[in-house]
Amino acid sequence: MDQPLAAQATGLPPTPAGPRVLRPVFTGNAREYFRIWIVNLFFSLVTLGIYSAWAKVRKKKYFYGSTTLDGDSFDYLGSPKAILKGRIVAAAVVIIYGFASQLYPGSQAVFLVIGFFILPWLISRALAFNARNSAWRGLRFDFTANAKTTAKFYLPRILLLLVSLGLFYPRFAARQREFTLNHHAYGTSGLHCELSVRQFYGIYILAGLMVGGIGAVLGVLMGMGAGRLFELPEAVAGWAFILVALPGYAAYGMAYAYIQSRAGNAMWNSARVNGMRFESTLGAWRLGWLYVGNVVAAALSLGLLIPWGVTRVLRYRLEHFAVIIDEEVVHEASPALARVDAAGQELGDFFNVDFGL
Amino acid sequence: MSAIQADYFDGARSVRHPVTLLVNGSRLKLVGQEVDLEYDLGSIRMSRRVADTPRWLYLPGGGACVSGDNAALDRYARESALERRVRQWEAHPAYAVLSVLLIALAVWFLVDRAVPVAADLIAQRIPPAVERDFGRHTLSALDGYILKPSTLDAEDRRALREGFARLLAVSGDKAGPLEFRTSPVIGPNAFALPSGIIVVTDELVDLSDNDDEVLAVLAHELGHVHHRHIMRSILESSATGFIVTTLTGDITSASALAAAAPTVLLQARFSRDNEREADAFAIDLMRRAGIAPVNFANILRNLEAEGEAKHKGGALPGFLSSHPPTPEREALAAGQGSGKAH
Repeated sequence: MDQPLAAQATGLPPTPAGPRVLRPVFTGNAREYFRIWIVNLFFSLVTLGIYSAWAKVRKKKYFYGSTTLDGDSFDYLGSPKAILKGRIVAAAVVIIYGFASQLYPGSQAVFLVIGFFILPWLISRALAFNARNSAWRGLRFDFTANAKTTAKFYLPRILLLLVSLGLFYPRFAARQREFTLNHHAYGTSGLHCELSVRQFYGIYILAGLMVGGIGAVLGVLMGMGAGRLFELPEAVAGWAFILVALPGYAAYGMAYAYIQSRAGNAMWNSARVNGMRFESTLGAWRLGWLYVGNVVAAALSLGLLIPWGVTRVLRYRLEHFAVIIDEEVVHEASPALARVDAAGQELGDFFNVDFGL
Repeated sequence: MSAIQADYFDGARSVRHPVTLLVNGSRLKLVGQEVDLEYDLGSIRMSRRVADTPRWLYLPGGGACVSGDNAALDRYARESALERRVRQWEAHPAYAVLSVLLIALAVWFLVDRAVPVAADLIAQRIPPAVERDFGRHTLSALDGYILKPSTLDAEDRRALREGFARLLAVSGDKAGPLEFRTSPVIGPNAFALPSGIIVVTDELVDLSDNDDEVLAVLAHELGHVHHRHIMRSILESSATGFIVTTLTGDITSASALAAAAPTVLLQARFSRDNEREADAFAIDLMRRAGIAPVNFANILRNLEAEGEAKHKGGALPGFLSSHPPTPEREALAAGQGSGKAH
């Protein structure tokens, strides 16, 4: 048994030899994940989507189980039945919306208003489900903001965003990341970060210039070539149009990766939790090339290279992340979660909501 | 008795305790430096095996054990038949290849065979009252949006209505009413709405050389009504959206699904197969109603000439177009239709 572990086992601080830097290790590989992905996809398809909830859990379990930090792997505890319930409700809502908005065109506004008020609840459910079903060293993570707290954060800000035509978006993005991280906890150890709104304005303005600049260049090129385009045979013109549009999508992907990496780095590098700090060194260009490469590979392989893309992005993200332990602390389980657990209920009991945040 | 190396976590503190698991009959013992616990095997839940990732034993009272010794743990695993099949398939590259082939086959079968049949069955069972509501609401939505009142004079309308009634009498379909509108946005056009409402634009009437050409287009739209293409398309695109959602494994792409039904209606973008079906129906109906099929070819040529004049030849490439190529349709009207068009 190595020294830090002995210290943890006895609960005593180790000999102070400076901070300990831990890097997560990913032991999975694209081949193995491809087999899991494709087989689960097949079973999802032949069960008309019902098995997809079980498939999701297996895929998450694979990634969690293949990732170790300080010698211990992560564990995903999500219940497929809870996920299935969430998916059935989501599908029903989508169908009702689709038909109702056809039958009663005015109903779209009603849906929009209802959606606006339900959104905070959905966000808090989704984050809580994911956090509470993620564990490391037998301890669950937690998301501590309930629907009311989440509503108090989101609703006024969304209204302000609408009124300001999105001008405050970078400020919102910074506050949103703060809100999300500051309500996450490992056991009872809460995370905390503070972000600079000025820095986020810088990130978003540069991203906007990237997209706007390339968009302008492409626009001019298309304007010049538009007349010529129509002289080409029909089929060729279609492909030529797509070829011109592609760099636009690539620019969008790069800008997205730029925001992801810079904002993510800013968040993690300022985050603290009970004796721990973090280090995130994602490169904007590298991440952007990974994204663009993944989309091209997925398109050319009819989707078969998606697992390869997913694993290489995950590997890159983990390789550029570190946990810095300044002080060896024993983290404790949240009593609130333990109670729910003991009552034999599913955590995130109602249902899970998949939500791309 | 077998010994398995594992780590124990009590669930209350983030501390790892290396232990040895000893199974004796129906009892499990955890033995370590500071750990000495014993449980009934039946009270323990074991996580399912995924590849060779470590597996967890969830103990009563909130503690948990984790071990990478999958070979040893497999002996105590309980799994359903489906779970075992999935796990075995995941382990072999040959099954991955088989899955790729089966998925391709399943997608083809669902999209090409099962979905159209299911959509047809459901479309037939939609109560007429619901469909009527659907059609009326859609028309009123379009009226406030891209359609404006027609400026055709009463005589023109009466003549077309009479012709339309003649087509209906011959075909025996329940369709109509025939609605006249003008629309600078969609130009010369006609389209069918749920419950058989057919909208024809002034621009189409102006473009035609005679009433029989307009009736040819109405016969084509009657084909869509006859084959229930409108409701079927909505159902088909919804079902296809579901399949795409399952394939991409992401419910967020279901937002595309929400957009599917309105898009289909608004643009009247039925599949090319549906158009061929409606074309064939129109030709047959025109023959029976005593209207020369050449009128259909004439109006198509006029429509295409109009389109070319507007876009300077910038028509959509064939692979993006929702209708069959015009020469093919003209050939059909001239009586040289291929066997494909039923």
